[in-house]
Amino acid sequence: MPDKTTIQKTKLISLIGPPNSGKTTIFNYLSGQNYRTVNYPGATVEYSVSDFLKSFNINAKLLDSPGIISLSPKSPDEKVTVDSFFNHPKFGVADLVLLTVDASQLSRHLFLVEQVIRSGYNVIVVLTMCDILNSKGFDISLDKLKSMLGFDAVKLDGRNGDGLDELVNKIKLNHEKSENKKIVKHEFNEKDLMDIFNKTGNIEQEVLFSLNEYVPDVCKANLQLNVISDAKLRNKPDAKTIRYDKVFLHKYWGIIIFILIVSLTFTSIFWLSTPLMDLIDMLFTFLSAQADDLLGKTIFADFISNGLISGSGSVLVFLPQIIILFFILGILEDTGYLARGAMLIDKPLSKIGLNGRSFVPMLSGFACAIPAIMAARTIQNKKERLLTIFIIPLLSCSARLPVYSLLVAFLFPGSPFSSGLVLAAIYLFSIISSVIVSGFVNRFLPKIVNVSDKTSFIMELPAYRVPKFKFVLKNTLDNAGQYLKKAGPVIVIFSTVLWFLTYFPNTNPVIENQENIPQTELEHKINSERISTSYASNLGKVLEPVMRPIGMDWRIGVSLIATFTAREVFVSSLALILKATDSEEDLQQSIINQMNQAKIESTGNKMFTTSTTIGLIVFFVFALQCISTIAIIKKETGGWKIPVIQVLVFTFVAYLFTFLTVNGLRLMGIQ
Amino acid sequence: MTAADLKFGQKAKIDSLDVEHPSSFRLLEYGFTPGEEIELINTPLFKDPIQLSIRGALIAIRKSDAKCINIKLN
Ligand SMILES: Nc1nc2c(ncn2[C@@H]2O[C@H](COP(=O)(O)OP(=O)(O)OP(=O)(O)O)[C@@H](O)[C@H]2O)c(=O)[nH]1
Ligand SMILES: [Mg+2]
Repeated sequence: MPDKTTIQKTKLISLIGPPNSGKTTIFNYLSGQNYRTVNYPGATVEYSVSDFLKSFNINAKLLDSPGIISLSPKSPDEKVTVDSFFNHPKFGVADLVLLTVDASQLSRHLFLVEQVIRSGYNVIVVLTMCDILNSKGFDISLDKLKSMLGFDAVKLDGRNGDGLDELVNKIKLNHEKSENKKIVKHEFNEKDLMDIFNKTGNIEQEVLFSLNEYVPDVCKANLQLNVISDAKLRNKPDAKTIRYDKVFLHKYWGIIIFILIVSLTFTSIFWLSTPLMDLIDMLFTFLSAQADDLLGKTIFADFISNGLISGSGSVLVFLPQIIILFFILGILEDTGYLARGAMLIDKPLSKIGLNGRSFVPMLSGFACAIPAIMAARTIQNKKERLLTIFIIPLLSCSARLPVYSLLVAFLFPGSPFSSGLVLAAIYLFSIISSVIVSGFVNRFLPKIVNVSDKTSFIMELPAYRVPKFKFVLKNTLDNAGQYLKKAGPVIVIFSTVLWFLTYFPNTNPVIENQENIPQTELEHKINSERISTSYASNLGKVLEPVMRPIGMDWRIGVSLIATFTAREVFVSSLALILKATDSEEDLQQSIINQMNQAKIESTGNKMFTTSTTIGLIVFFVFALQCISTIAIIKKETGGWKIPVIQVLVFTFVAYLFTFLTVNGLRLMGIQ
Repeated sequence: MTAADLKFGQKAKIDSLDVEHPSSFRLLEYGFTPGEEIELINTPLFKDPIQLSIRGALIAIRKSDAKCINIKLN
């Protein structure tokens, strides 16, 4: 079978190394890909495989993996690495291992190198962060390191790619000549570990040399002194980082700065994005008006301007907010601060059954639940991990932003400042609800799943760094692109289907006494008559009994059902169902105008009042309306149990709280 | 005395690890081996977790985990 031999010949080169040691940086250099590299241990939680860049002329697969401390995995992300390391389901055992080592933490990082070598692998050691080592006043002798390890080593500067050519050459050479010894999966015990550290400590002592020795007129005595203090100096963490930590982890300042940073992050999303949003809004209003002018009053024109343009426009308007959110999170992550955030909030989180390591997954949950749920893999303790996954859907993901922005703009017309504050309040509310839910579920979780491993929090705090704005921006735009790719088709398809359901079968409704009615009102009458006799209305009537108790009618019911494909769809489906395309005004404003006019059909009362609008917001805070989230939770928790419980509980809670909010407000006299 | 009892800015040498403690193996892997020097760098608001330095790295660690590191003050 010729096929089989070619498959077997594809060589596998694996990047392995401790968290935050530069694996993904090297992966991106070698493969030309653009994966996320940030200053947080645990940035990568799934392995990725790629070919080498064509120009390198290396015929092999390159594998990037989540960081590991040792070959005995403790958390699911480490298990991903170790499992795929010893036997990748598709590519088998690695033929060559590129081991990244942070040169400024030699003895700790060589530990893993030694474990991998003892397992029989053929390796090349790649030293990163040599710049940090130099700033401590030390450099490393590659020759000594090579001879002590018995394997090749190379320096690579992750900031600019210096040393890449040498690495590529070494890979090629190694590729042709060397291969693995017999691979054995050792069970390392305590004694082995101490043994290995003894050895790596020795290596560190031998290969590092003080840069001071090169100063020509240093007298012998001084040299002597230097040698004595060498060990101490070597083991000193980055001085700048310690200075910053005295502030960021200060008893009082630390927590004040933490609260400031987190709240500034969220509020700035709204304040920074307003001008950009206006721009996009103008563009779509213009397009919609153009379409109307060009195509006249035909079915086709209605489809283009109502179905497609305002459908996609009403969602695209919110792209700036999403981009800004991703950008700020990226910058924060790259400075190295987020690991401190995790540390500062570990104690409070542990009170509700979570862990400091839940912090970053939760924070990214504000962008999108899907990567957030995957990021929860860095949590060792199973109960804490499940609980984190359980509450992530409650955090306000960016898909809810369009909905909230619209509803808040409806409540506070023409006041961006208070809108910003209210949006921040909604975020706070979603955080508080998730805390309460977490504390509550924490009590019941042992009954649902059987877990009893011990909780702990041990986390490496990376050195502070000036964030690489260019990379973060590129990553952000990539993310935004993915968001569009994911949401875009859904929105177009849904807008089409919904437009069809609201336009047919009564395409030309007959209105009596046409002569007495002014033109604009006539159009409005035709539109609403068409909708209330449409397929959508027939379907929606089924929802009427459920919607009435919360002060809404079938039209919102249909929009809410639509949101199960993606929450953003709510806005475009409202636009469609309320027929909001007034070419005179911008898009958001015309939806708001239509919301002001909408009446509940059976009673004639206004549909969007203060109470029902707040009720809707409450509904969106709790409801788990996202198929992709449900799918990823099933995958990450290994079964349907958790996602099914989540859908049932969150939908019930959402409905109940909406009911209580709407009717409570009405009792208090707020309509 | 254990690493959980360290005061702000205090340095100590690791004497041994309590092997009964579930975190001891992981701590060993992080480089907390007998004979190494550790220093308490910061104790934020709740005094837990604490920030230790070991082998040139900064590690945040809960006090309940630090308890398994037996130390000798310098
Ligand atoms: N100063 C300096 N920074 C570097 C160097 N190499 C990488 N970095 C930075 O170190 C950080 C971590 O790099 P990554 O490539 O994300 O590390 P990783 O090993 O993939 O990390 P995990 O996926 O979390 O295990 C990033 O902010 C990089 O830009 C280097 O040689 N010098
Ligand atoms: Mg990575």
